[in-house]
Amino acid sequence: MKNIDLKYYLASSLFCVIVFLFWLLGFPQAMNYQEQNQLFLFTNDYFWNDMRIAGGLADYISEFIVQFYYVPWLGALLLALMFVILQQLTWKLMKQHSDTYFPLSFLPALFMLWHMGDINTLLSFPVATILTMFAAYLARSMHRGFDLLIVPLLYWLVGPTVWIYVLLRCIEKGLKSFWAMAYLVGIQGLAYYAFLEQWPRDMVITGLNYYRIPMQTPMLQIVTPLSIVAVVAISRWIKSRMILTVISQATVIATASMAITDGYDSEMYELLKQDELVRKERWTEIIERAEKEQVQNAFSSQCVNLALAMTEQLPDRMFQFYQSGTDALLMPMVRDNTSNLPTAEAFFHLGMINESLRYMFDIQQSILNFKKSGRYTKRIAECYLINGNYAVASKHLTVLGQSLFYRSWAKEAATYLNRDDKMNTHPKWGKLRQLRYKEQFLYNYNEKDKMLGLLFTNNQQNRMALFYFMGQMLLDGNVQGFTQYMQWVQQYGGFTQMPAGYADAMKCIQAQGNLPGSEYANYVQRMMKEHEK
Amino acid sequence: MRNSLFIILIFLLTACTEQVKQAESINRLPHIYPDYIGVTIPAGIAPLNFQVLEPSIEKVDVHITGNQGGELHVQDQWANFDIKNWHELTEANRGGSLNIKVRAKGKEGKWQAYKDFKIFISPYPLDDFGLTYRRIQPGYEVGGNIGIYQRDIHTFEETALMQESAVPGRCFNCHTPNRTNPETFTLQVRGEGGGTLVQKDSVQTWYNTKTDQTKAAGSYASWHPDGRYCAYAANAVHQSFFVGKDRNIEVYHSFSNIVVLDTQTGELIVSPLLNTDALEIFPAFSADGKTLYFSTSENCNVPAEYEKVKCSLCAISFDATTGTFGHQVDTLLHGPATDKSYIQARPSYDGRWLMFCRAERSNFPVSQKESDLWLMDLQTGKFRCLDEVNSPQTESYPNWSSNSHWFVFSSKSEDGLHSRAYLASIDEEGKVTKPFLLPQENPLKYYRNMFDSFNCPDFTSSQVEFDIRTARENLFSNERVQVKIKE
Repeated sequence: MKNIDLKYYLASSLFCVIVFLFWLLGFPQAMNYQEQNQLFLFTNDYFWNDMRIAGGLADYISEFIVQFYYVPWLGALLLALMFVILQQLTWKLMKQHSDTYFPLSFLPALFMLWHMGDINTLLSFPVATILTMFAAYLARSMHRGFDLLIVPLLYWLVGPTVWIYVLLRCIEKGLKSFWAMAYLVGIQGLAYYAFLEQWPRDMVITGLNYYRIPMQTPMLQIVTPLSIVAVVAISRWIKSRMILTVISQATVIATASMAITDGYDSEMYELLKQDELVRKERWTEIIERAEKEQVQNAFSSQCVNLALAMTEQLPDRMFQFYQSGTDALLMPMVRDNTSNLPTAEAFFHLGMINESLRYMFDIQQSILNFKKSGRYTKRIAECYLINGNYAVASKHLTVLGQSLFYRSWAKEAATYLNRDDKMNTHPKWGKLRQLRYKEQFLYNYNEKDKMLGLLFTNNQQNRMALFYFMGQMLLDGNVQGFTQYMQWVQQYGGFTQMPAGYADAMKCIQAQGNLPGSEYANYVQRMMKEHEK
Repeated sequence: MRNSLFIILIFLLTACTEQVKQAESINRLPHIYPDYIGVTIPAGIAPLNFQVLEPSIEKVDVHITGNQGGELHVQDQWANFDIKNWHELTEANRGGSLNIKVRAKGKEGKWQAYKDFKIFISPYPLDDFGLTYRRIQPGYEVGGNIGIYQRDIHTFEETALMQESAVPGRCFNCHTPNRTNPETFTLQVRGEGGGTLVQKDSVQTWYNTKTDQTKAAGSYASWHPDGRYCAYAANAVHQSFFVGKDRNIEVYHSFSNIVVLDTQTGELIVSPLLNTDALEIFPAFSADGKTLYFSTSENCNVPAEYEKVKCSLCAISFDATTGTFGHQVDTLLHGPATDKSYIQARPSYDGRWLMFCRAERSNFPVSQKESDLWLMDLQTGKFRCLDEVNSPQTESYPNWSSNSHWFVFSSKSEDGLHSRAYLASIDEEGKVTKPFLLPQENPLKYYRNMFDSFNCPDFTSSQVEFDIRTARENLFSNERVQVKIKE
């Protein structure tokens, strides 16, 4: 018996290590994404704001945990511990009936891993699931009458995962506990009519903060809790047979394999990786990844182009990489919480501060569960500081000062408030103050080449603006403009010889597009084909 | 025994209050937030709690004395008054003043006494229940977590009428009651699946006010006093964004006309004088309902010609018995001739005043830094800038209390970005008092952490009863009453 227990503990420990490595080495960008879509604050108001809705405690705990994703190894460790707790709780609930289906105790955790491949799944869901299972485990010897108190309390603290509790009690206590299901329906109805009128009924039933997109409930959000109930029911009612043991092992292996292959879309996670690298300004790594394989869309083009510009390779290498079209450098506004991030970052580094501020603001406003973001708030505060709008900057810094990982930055940034002299000597902000527009005119996305040109003439030290200006004309197929402004490249580009990319483009233009092997000619031909379609 | 317990209780309570001894006299007024020094308030308003913004303050001691009797003392981290005691004191001093003595204790344990200041209690009551407003982050194209709220102005209680979480993905305009009466109001949900809600006596009706002849659904509403007609501007609003550091946004309309919904018949009244090639916007019925005020500007090529948008303030007669407009538009203030823009006219409900915004340009004053409130005496036609309430930043969205002796407006005076609700009074001669920021229990914390702007603040004479569940069901059912153009 002892050997079996040891085997089980070893299996759980191995699972913990695998999950830890899965997040740390396999999908750290997933943690980066989740972290940048919330901002946990150490204030009483933050706590009570979470607690005012059903599932608030689970939300609060999950947001507390997610803030540690800022340090990837710590985030991965916390996630690994959560998964092993989920597996162990499943096992403990199973074991009180039978200890023969140990492999099945991994099934809910694997479904959860699968579900978390969906970037809109919030950690609140696994946290709520774990808390519910823990409550079910603690209540196993309690009289079912206690459920009169536990069910509503648990519903308010963790949300609709309380159904797991009720179903587990039914398995444990039999028909006598079936009233709890009707009771829970009543509790949810009461909550909707008395406290949660500002939420759609469907969300009150399925969870207010388990999934980032309102009014949507993915299948795995239902399958995962059902798998917990199912494995405990199997332990309770199905006697051990060799064939069933084999089937359970096969099910676990199949689920694990499906979780990885089906749950984690490689292209999407590559884009999130690029975004993470843009955030951390690891430009060389972005280029190296793109050299191996590049996702073919505008987001990826922008990330790579930004990295090339920041490493001064854009004039040479732009068309060695996939270019999505005229939006490959800067994208128009899209209403979601991610698509415009590379454009917002490019605007910032270019010195188009108002545009960076606008994009970052709208990206933050597009977080569908209305959370703030540490990353976006930080950038917004920087924009206000650079623009000298210190009163508004101060508001943002105050908020960041209430967080764990942005506090020290905010404290330092606050020393620049109302200090133009200090701002002007800041290595980044001072420089960006010099680069930004001095004239006042209206932004026009359709004339972004002209705006980039004006940005450059505004400050001829702004070589990035020059690279983007020339690049945009190439993307637009503005041959005349590109040829005309090559003199700027010669005069201000700081090149001893014409950059390879521009030389290739010039040759292509002279050959009227018929230049086999030319990277720019390939782009032009592809664009023409797409245009014809 | 009971007396002993009472004495112990009193002792315990007073033991927490430190006696202020040997306070150093500072010969200036204290820096407080909000700036309530010299403001005029109505009796019964929520306490004007404030923070003392002197360096390293540990504790404040505030002693208020009414010139008609009564006093109030508080010692706390900030001036945090008991609501009941505050109400008693302000009621006892209606038409008088309160003398505020502020002393503050620094971290080193020394007390400092500042010069006293006064808060005046208006003789005019403000018996309305409170305010309604839309809270929205002052941003760009994405609204985020917007919401319409009502606030009891006699306490600090705020409740949500409609939040974004209730109607995910829908953007909604401000709630417009009929002359502060919450029994009748309208609001509009924009975009796909949108509609115009009219609630009368708790019955909700969702209209589709877009027709073949009107290019868009209605917004910027104003009720006719009889509650049958509601005027809307049917328009398309757009934004462009500045690249320079001092301005962010230019809001403009590509078209705008005025229509009136007859809520009795479900018909739209369309006048050719209010549906021209120019842009007619921000309709407002007069107190007697016989006149409709509105602004109009030439059809400029926006956004390129955004600086040329200059609104004139106009009026046209309206006959409620027949539901028809007059045949002539009177120009009260000519925008192009004065090189200004006159927008958001709001006639007082007693028929005496017309408040409006004046800006350098634009038909959307909220985004104009230079927008100020102006007041026209409708008896004499004279008008003036309300210097008493204006700041170097944007003032907009004025609205009147039910007795027309108070008005509320939005001001971005704090930081140039976030608009806040301010209230001020006006007497029979048109004398306006220093406005006060909508009180909060802990004002510094509330406003510092508040990233929303207060849009379209308006008075509500009693609590708004609104069933958001029914509204949501109707909204998502997409069942709308299709309006018809009145022949």
